[in-house]
Amino acid sequence: MSLQVIINGIATGSIYALIATGFALIFNILKFSNFSHGATMTAAAFVAYFLVSSKGMGLVPTLAVAGLAGALIALFGEFVGFRRILKNHSAPTYFFVSSITLGTLYEGLVTIKAGSNFFNFPSFFAEPTVGVGSLVISTSDLVMFAISAVALLVLAFIIQKTRIGRALRAVSFDRDTAQLMGIDSTRIIQVAFVVSGILAGFAGVFLGIKYTLYPTLGSLVVKGFIASVIGGLGSLTGAVVGALLLGILETILLAVLGSGYSTIAVFGVMLVFLLIRPQGIAGSNVQEKA
Amino acid sequence: MNALISNVLTQVCITLIAVAGIYVLTGLTGMFSLGQAAFMAIGAYASGILVIRTHIPFFLAALIAVVMATGIGYLIGYPVVRLRRDYISLVTLGFGEAIAALLNRMTTLTGGASGLTGIPRKVTLTMALVSAIIAIALAAFFKTSKYGRQCIALKGDELAAKAMGIHVTRIKMVAFLLSVALTSYSGVLYAFYMSYVDPTGFGWKKSADWVIMVFFGGVNSLTGSTLGAFILSALPQVLRSMQNYRYVIYAILVLIILNFKPSGLLGEWELTPRHIRETVARVRNKFGAKKEG
Amino acid sequence: MKRLLALALAIVLALSLVACGNTTDTTEPQGGETAAPAGETGGEEGGEILIGCLQDITGSTSSLGMSVEAGAKAAVEEINANGGIDGKTVVMKTYDTKGDVTEAVNAYITAVTVDNVSLIIGPPVANIANAIKETSEGYDVPVMGFALDPACQLKEDGTPYKNMFCLQPSATTQGDIMASFALKNGLKTFGVLYNQENSYSVSLLDPFLDRLAEDGITVADDMIIPFGAADTDYKTLLQPLVKANVDAIYCPNYTQQLVAIVTAANELGYEGKIINGLDAAPNFNTIYGGDCSNVYYINNINTEDPETASRIAEIEDTVSAPNKYFLGYDAVMVAKQCIEEVGLEDPAALTDAIANVKDFKGLTGTLTMSPETHMPDGMGMFMYTYDNQTPVMLEEFAG
Repeated sequence: MSLQVIINGIATGSIYALIATGFALIFNILKFSNFSHGATMTAAAFVAYFLVSSKGMGLVPTLAVAGLAGALIALFGEFVGFRRILKNHSAPTYFFVSSITLGTLYEGLVTIKAGSNFFNFPSFFAEPTVGVGSLVISTSDLVMFAISAVALLVLAFIIQKTRIGRALRAVSFDRDTAQLMGIDSTRIIQVAFVVSGILAGFAGVFLGIKYTLYPTLGSLVVKGFIASVIGGLGSLTGAVVGALLLGILETILLAVLGSGYSTIAVFGVMLVFLLIRPQGIAGSNVQEKA
Repeated sequence: MNALISNVLTQVCITLIAVAGIYVLTGLTGMFSLGQAAFMAIGAYASGILVIRTHIPFFLAALIAVVMATGIGYLIGYPVVRLRRDYISLVTLGFGEAIAALLNRMTTLTGGASGLTGIPRKVTLTMALVSAIIAIALAAFFKTSKYGRQCIALKGDELAAKAMGIHVTRIKMVAFLLSVALTSYSGVLYAFYMSYVDPTGFGWKKSADWVIMVFFGGVNSLTGSTLGAFILSALPQVLRSMQNYRYVIYAILVLIILNFKPSGLLGEWELTPRHIRETVARVRNKFGAKKEG
Repeated sequence: MKRLLALALAIVLALSLVACGNTTDTTEPQGGETAAPAGETGGEEGGEILIGCLQDITGSTSSLGMSVEAGAKAAVEEINANGGIDGKTVVMKTYDTKGDVTEAVNAYITAVTVDNVSLIIGPPVANIANAIKETSEGYDVPVMGFALDPACQLKEDGTPYKNMFCLQPSATTQGDIMASFALKNGLKTFGVLYNQENSYSVSLLDPFLDRLAEDGITVADDMIIPFGAADTDYKTLLQPLVKANVDAIYCPNYTQQLVAIVTAANELGYEGKIINGLDAAPNFNTIYGGDCSNVYYINNINTEDPETASRIAEIEDTVSAPNKYFLGYDAVMVAKQCIEEVGLEDPAALTDAIANVKDFKGLTGTLTMSPETHMPDGMGMFMYTYDNQTPVMLEEFAG
């Protein structure tokens, strides 16, 4: 097993991590898997492409606009897709159905605007790769890894150390009690969506850099879903660890078994893992009965 | 025009069978599967390959395919019914992806990415319609049986159901297998109607579409689920002239229902004599009240 | 009460469905009626000829479908500006297949039974053609498509489906040309990276290897690397090929994947050539954005031809795949020629005319159809590379 494969795996894993955290954040607070996250990533990346990078501006403005766009889209989604369901106290499955429908909506809109053409971000880096001995690392992967790490650390700090983070944890633990304690849970849920939208925007840009921009780019959300679930439902650390492990596992199996069989093997490993450690990597703060 | 209506109706009937399966699984038991479409693929491929390779009669091939799919369903069901609910969608999702990968890989048997061609066209509208009616009747029968009532009980509160002496894993397994059998049968009909199957159409989005249909019509009502499936699978055909706006419209319509009528179009209303009597009575009361007022 | 409301809503919805169905029922045959009598009473001025354009307008291959549609539309406008066909205006209606085989059959049946189109400009995607080929046998409407895979046009007994046509060189021809080009340029060792979940990619694999085998070159099994949609790491897939330092990597994939693959190969320091199918043709270069001098590709069109070049300049910004645009354009022009030849009264005569097209000079080359295969006979193609980002035509190959 060459070290190069592991490095490729970490690169793949770190983009899964960005997706999985956005996913886990919403799961944490509303106890459902937000499948509109994928289409939010795509839509935010396209907005950033059309507004900023197609006009020759660099990576930083692109990320900023994508983060902003992602946040706005996620807020919109919270309003039209989830607010009322929350008020009706419907089962979490409604969120799930609603999120998939929202995803279809965004994907449809992106197709109308951009389905007729291929798009790609201009290359943001003067040197496409960084060589360490015989190893090759893409500059974009390296930057992505750094930015993901910083973004996730900032997020962890906010959640653990700030007032709003405490409120977020309280709402996630018990929405009704938090409300009684004077926390505006609607506002806190909006905050969670904004943060998850920003992460979606970042992830969308990096996915776009790696795989070009196309309307169904967001289907990679499935990887974030897998990572966040095996990470331990709703746990942010678990999601990051799960994502990195998934990326490395996939890459190693791909190198050893080749395409196709690696997909089957990943499924097998996942199944065994869930059976022997049903609480996920991080253990879980979600009660059996939600 | 007639050809189009009969074509769309046949496809709707095939979808109805799968949705009847989803109703049993999600509507009654509350389990969420993102890999149900993979069983449709198994049914379609198994029966298609059997008829092409061994020339056995269609009905025998259909039977073998459904039995085979149910057998695979049992293997997947074993962990599925034991895992916590959030994991079910994950395991079934992975299963669906694995099946798609297998179908692409086993080129000599399945034709790989180019798909399986040359399946004889056997399915007519009548046959699809009769099958759909039987499938829905089966689901209705299951709902009113003791299994169905136990399913509803464990959907509401699994711990309480367990405490009442309901064998939770067994009941879940029965519901899962019934759902798998129905879905794989719809796959058989699909293959022998389309005469061509390729591995692309059976991903998690298809399974999710079925779940959306159930919720759209009413997750607690078989009549509603059936109606939802009927409307949503015919809608894209009706909206054809809207070109690429039609899936946007589709999504908006579903969102409206989820927001403003969360129990679905029909709520818990079923097409049973009792419900019809009640509804008629309510209508009469209302108009009676108006007259008096 | 609420339930009643819901029921009412449901009934309204169901009724609106039926009503919409009825409106299409009443409006569409009108279109059909105006088209049909016009076809019968050819002498009458005006009237319409309705053609269908069955494409992936949404879904993962929407950019290809929209390119073909744009080309076909341009041809229709041009025909109408020059007085139409036999004095009749051509009307084109697009049917979305969503890149889904079931939807494709629905779209096809809508086109032929509801709107009564006279012919269909088909999709460039093999799975869609495969899905409609059996259904098409029941009707008399030719499908002028671009599915490379011969299985889309030919039944198992080797006879063609009567309505299915492919108007560009088949996968066999294209694979053969690319391999011949590679051999001619002295390339000796090869690796392959292909998408095993994509029928286009799969159908181009064997013809290439077969042609290499004719010259005694075999490609070892571990140098033929398949991938699928779930695989996200092209570097790991490419690594064995780069390590073996093969002269060329054969890479018949769609544009999105090609961009990622070429990027990964360059990052790994691969120094050989990358030979791609049609999808590395422009706008691949602008999408990729970097130096693609090591990329070689096959193309339908000759960009040195002044007419082609000036048209490309016009459409560059709106069309993602100019070669698909020209295929769509040419297909409509072929249709025009055939309709002018035999009219629309006898559908069998029209299919016959399409099957026997001879020496049609189009923008994608000279087209002569083979009645035995319903695919072009000896239609050549062009091999290109890039000088940094500028396409350079290298050589024309006969089919």
